[in-house]
Amino acid sequence: MRRTEKNATAWSMVLVPLGIAAIMTPAIMLAASGSGQGFDSVVNSIESRYHAHATKIPFMGLISGIAGIATHGGVRGLHVAEFEDFRGDGDGVDGAEFNALIEKHVGGGWQRMVRETSRKGGEQSLIYVRAEGSHVGMLVVDLDGHDLNVVQMSMNPDQLMHEVAKHHHHETHDSSDDQAAGESE
Amino acid sequence: MKRIEVWTSVLALGIVAGAVSALGQDALPAPSPIEKTLAERATHVTEVTLDKNMLAFASKFMDGDKDGDKEDKAVKEMIRNLKGVYVREYEFDKENSYTGAELEGLRKYFESSDWSPMVHERTKGVAQGTDVFVKLVNGQMQGLFVLDAEARELSLVLILGPIDIDKLSGLGGNFGIPKDAMKKAQKEAGK
Repeated sequence: MRRTEKNATAWSMVLVPLGIAAIMTPAIMLAASGSGQGFDSVVNSIESRYHAHATKIPFMGLISGIAGIATHGGVRGLHVAEFEDFRGDGDGVDGAEFNALIEKHVGGGWQRMVRETSRKGGEQSLIYVRAEGSHVGMLVVDLDGHDLNVVQMSMNPDQLMHEVAKHHHHETHDSSDDQAAGESE
Repeated sequence: MKRIEVWTSVLALGIVAGAVSALGQDALPAPSPIEKTLAERATHVTEVTLDKNMLAFASKFMDGDKDGDKEDKAVKEMIRNLKGVYVREYEFDKENSYTGAELEGLRKYFESSDWSPMVHERTKGVAQGTDVFVKLVNGQMQGLFVLDAEARELSLVLILGPIDIDKLSGLGGNFGIPKDAMKKAQKEAGK
């Protein structure tokens, strides 16, 4: 009996830390792929590699909050950084190197969905997405000529499409009302 | 007690084996080294890689179109059930910027037992043409690969999952899938 109790204690000593580790791992992974990476990491890496300075939009937090309220949670966590007159290495950027730089700093959880690149380096578009519960995170890095923009947002596709459909319905309703009023005149 | 352990092990092994086999069947292929060399030569490259989760996410944005006709809805339904879409489009500033050997290398992956050639169209004297391979499982199309080689453009489209050939052209223009390549594939497959 005593031996059974000892065995049970020994097992609990192994299983309890294992259980805690199993519960904590997703939380740790989620934190590691959070705001420390993604947008901030990508913007910082571009700034340091190309010696450029990003212009952050003032009151972005407020704008993001308003967007969240206006779309009833359809869009949230908006981040925008703009590099004006971005010259890269003087004559654009090397597409492969630019892609590797973003890939390295975007962090875990992000999957590249689209890459569009031109050999001369004037056009680079990278779109990454990641699952964020009911939301989907989207990170867009777009270089067009000398304008480089980095945008990150979190969207709820169901809510967003619900809002779009509602707006579309209102618009259709209003235009048919106008048409009816015009005909009666 | 021992019987439970044995059954647990069998179940665990079954889950792992199932997951590995599912990954092997539905996973998008790793880019071939040929694609890298083509990308280096091309003036413009478009790469689109969508797995099942991304397709599910993308299809949600199509749900808002309530006024869409029946055909649109059928295409959306097909997209929702797809397991992966892989598109590579290379544009070149000069004609014949790729070789017949490179096209052969790209086709090689699909010359396995799972895939059957459906269309094999060639232009005499140049490395141009269209190839369509299909993956048939129990008589149902579960995959499609289109290699469309034009004078200054090379397109690779790989679609994994259940495909309705009649709705194929509806996929063109979505997710970077070239419209012309899909129309051509549907036309050739319908012959």
